[in-house]
Amino acid sequence: MNSASSLQAAIAAHRFGLGEASLAVAGSDPRGWLDAQIGPADAPRGDGLLNTAQALDHVAAEREKRREAKNPPPGMTAEQVLAGHYREVITADIRSRMLTAALTTRPFAERLQWFWSNHFTVSLAKGSTRGLVGAFERDAIRPNIAGSFESLLVASTTHPAMLRYLDNSQSAGPHSTIVARAARRAERLGEGPRITGLNENLAREVLELHTLGAEAARSGQYTQRDVTAFAAVLTGWRVALLDDDRSRLFDPLWHEPGSKTVLGKTYPAGPEALRQVLHDLAVHPATAHFIATKLARHFVADAPPPALVDRLASTYLKNSTQLAPVYRELIRSPEAWNAQPAKLKTPEEFVISSARMLGLDRRSIDRADAGGVFALGQRVQAAPSPAGWSDRADDWLGPDAVWKRVEWSTRVASRLGSSIDARVLAAQSLGPLLEPQTATQLERAADGPQALALLLMAPEFQRR
Amino acid sequence: MTSMIDSSRRRVLVGALGAAALAPLSALSFAATSRPGDARFVFVILRGGLDGLYAVPAIGDPDFAAARGPLAQYEQAPLTLSGPFALHPNLAQMHAMYGGGELAVLHAVGLPYRDRSHFDAQQVLESGGVRPYEIGTGWLARALAPTSTKSIALSTAVPLVLRGPGVVDTWAPSALSDPGADLVARLAQMYANDPALATALERARALHLGAGMPPEMAGADTMGEAGKNKRYGNFGVLAQRAAEFLAQSGGPQVAVLEIGGWDSHANEANPNGALANGLRQLDGGLAALREGLLPSGTWNRTVVLVATEFGREVAVNGTLGTDHGTGGAAFVLGGAVQGGRVIADWPGLAKRDRYEGRDLRITTDLRAVIKSVLADHLQVATSALDSAVFPGSAGSAKLLLLKA
Repeated sequence: MNSASSLQAAIAAHRFGLGEASLAVAGSDPRGWLDAQIGPADAPRGDGLLNTAQALDHVAAEREKRREAKNPPPGMTAEQVLAGHYREVITADIRSRMLTAALTTRPFAERLQWFWSNHFTVSLAKGSTRGLVGAFERDAIRPNIAGSFESLLVASTTHPAMLRYLDNSQSAGPHSTIVARAARRAERLGEGPRITGLNENLAREVLELHTLGAEAARSGQYTQRDVTAFAAVLTGWRVALLDDDRSRLFDPLWHEPGSKTVLGKTYPAGPEALRQVLHDLAVHPATAHFIATKLARHFVADAPPPALVDRLASTYLKNSTQLAPVYRELIRSPEAWNAQPAKLKTPEEFVISSARMLGLDRRSIDRADAGGVFALGQRVQAAPSPAGWSDRADDWLGPDAVWKRVEWSTRVASRLGSSIDARVLAAQSLGPLLEPQTATQLERAADGPQALALLLMAPEFQRR
Repeated sequence: MTSMIDSSRRRVLVGALGAAALAPLSALSFAATSRPGDARFVFVILRGGLDGLYAVPAIGDPDFAAARGPLAQYEQAPLTLSGPFALHPNLAQMHAMYGGGELAVLHAVGLPYRDRSHFDAQQVLESGGVRPYEIGTGWLARALAPTSTKSIALSTAVPLVLRGPGVVDTWAPSALSDPGADLVARLAQMYANDPALATALERARALHLGAGMPPEMAGADTMGEAGKNKRYGNFGVLAQRAAEFLAQSGGPQVAVLEIGGWDSHANEANPNGALANGLRQLDGGLAALREGLLPSGTWNRTVVLVATEFGREVAVNGTLGTDHGTGGAAFVLGGAVQGGRVIADWPGLAKRDRYEGRDLRITTDLRAVIKSVLADHLQVATSALDSAVFPGSAGSAKLLLLKA
């Protein structure tokens, strides 16, 4: 390997991938190595994983259990009825996510799946998504990361986890059958109706966070009127947990009758309108720009070069929102191969790239895992808001955040440092990215654990 | 304390806002604290958009019950304030501070931004700009920069409001063990060419291993410490720790705390729901802050401002919650505050009185509230407030919030 291609291998492995113990895996053609990874994400690893239908059955069963817990059967306490709960499903989901990323041979594809799962955030921070986040990532995101953005958008928007996370399951057309029924029932019983109308949450976040972007709102490309109309289009798309057939995601009784006008275009009543609106949103130039900006920010720099963003956006539009050509344009772009790493790793990236560099086996990964990432300030699959985790260094570079990384590195290194030569590992994993002052510190370290802690905290390993 | 009800305009003018415009200039000059450097300021950010009308219901407004529907019903009676206003029953300790003249409630308050995006509104709330992203640093950082006033964020990352020219400390509870001083010294050498990592590490080192810190604060035992204070909740732990930092002489003068979970799109009035719990946490945390600052006398020199990025739609949505809106409530409290008042130029709740027919109309600019605190409490020069700190805000009404 000559020095130019070894620098490229290091960038491919760390910036586009998730870190490697040895750069040999990226071979003599690092661009080709990345290109060959473009496609659906790997089948997820791990045990006890539920698909979407099973996950919904489980949520429904849990609900039933909670109802029973109020009147436990003779001889059982409420706690016994509720035992198990969601913990097993959530633990299996998080384990699978981390294990798959730590062991994959297609780390570029896995990083893309992380990127899209974060773009279309569904978070455990809200109770209504419990037990569904893993199924969302596996069924809505993983198979679709290299298809069209439009299909990804449809899969995300109509997935039960998203419909519940952003409250659409409860949103009813103000003139829908269900609202009229609820009103009649309420009148009969002399109480307030339970179901009355719209909830705008999903509509607003699809526009602002998933497609057009907040910039489009600021420049007046959509307004409150569009949010409300789009919310009306979305009515009826819901999860009926109590139905026998939970796969039915559109309930006409909840749908707002009549046509709706979103962004100046009129759509008919009915379930088909959602696909039409999502199509029009996907091919909108504001969406192209927003998606291109986020991809470039993720792979190149917090403030991405405008020329690169423009190229990615026009590739996206020229190819009818197909993502593979956009990824190819990205790995062809000279801006993405700057030797100076511009991105700071998030806690999850840091933990997983450490596991990969250290060649941890499955058991150790289970131990190093989610608790570590949580302690570093990032609860896996539980982003604080629908905007997902930040992709900017400023948000991860507070003194306390850095201190916690040092603490975590110390702990990992105290366990593994005496059996690993950090100097050798640094050269094999970082190659030409390894800076002389880091190499010097590794040479001078007091002992193996200290050397390994220094390597994990080295600027060229904290950044990518 | 008087409230005036002008029935022809259906407006209630409560407290000092109307009077402030007429206040003699001499009243302003007494607002200064005894010694420069003594004043303490705490900014609490409620992320997610607190429903001001739920936390501070205008139960005496003739349109309240009809406008709010099911959200006008409370399991326990709201705690009465002056005029038509009351506090959510979970804010009992704040209500006691109100009774003791230490808490002022602001209503129908908001930012110049009106477009209902969480993320844009929070950017404006913290940057001090008029439009999102026109300014990339925080108003508090810019206000503190000229005097190099020390500040601390009780969070893992530095929030935007404190980002700017100065250096900021951050602190959050840790479950991990402490690295040795030797390793940290070597890391510092390794970061010679990476100023961002070097600065963060040095700030953290000073906080964790530094001198002049009570031993229980300089280490990894914080999770245990936190565990002892369950009655305040997580926010309470941060508030308590903030009080410890602020009570030190030579410690930070300014602290920023954050508490999320206010985005009440559904089942808002559930007495065990997220909003009810959030209010309980807020109430407990502010009480913990007060308790922590009282013994050293620091509380008398403290002003706490609690604000959110926007209020919510007046009417209930289809899921017994509220969607994003504009005007809302804020709180100013502390021993230095002239409390026991609701400060509001009340716009009314009838549909025609609402902003775009849906939100509580903003009649008090939150920037004016912040500027008044910064001027009278932290002695930030008016010229700086009108330009560097809140560009484009010159001429905003001055509010008298502090004890004379």
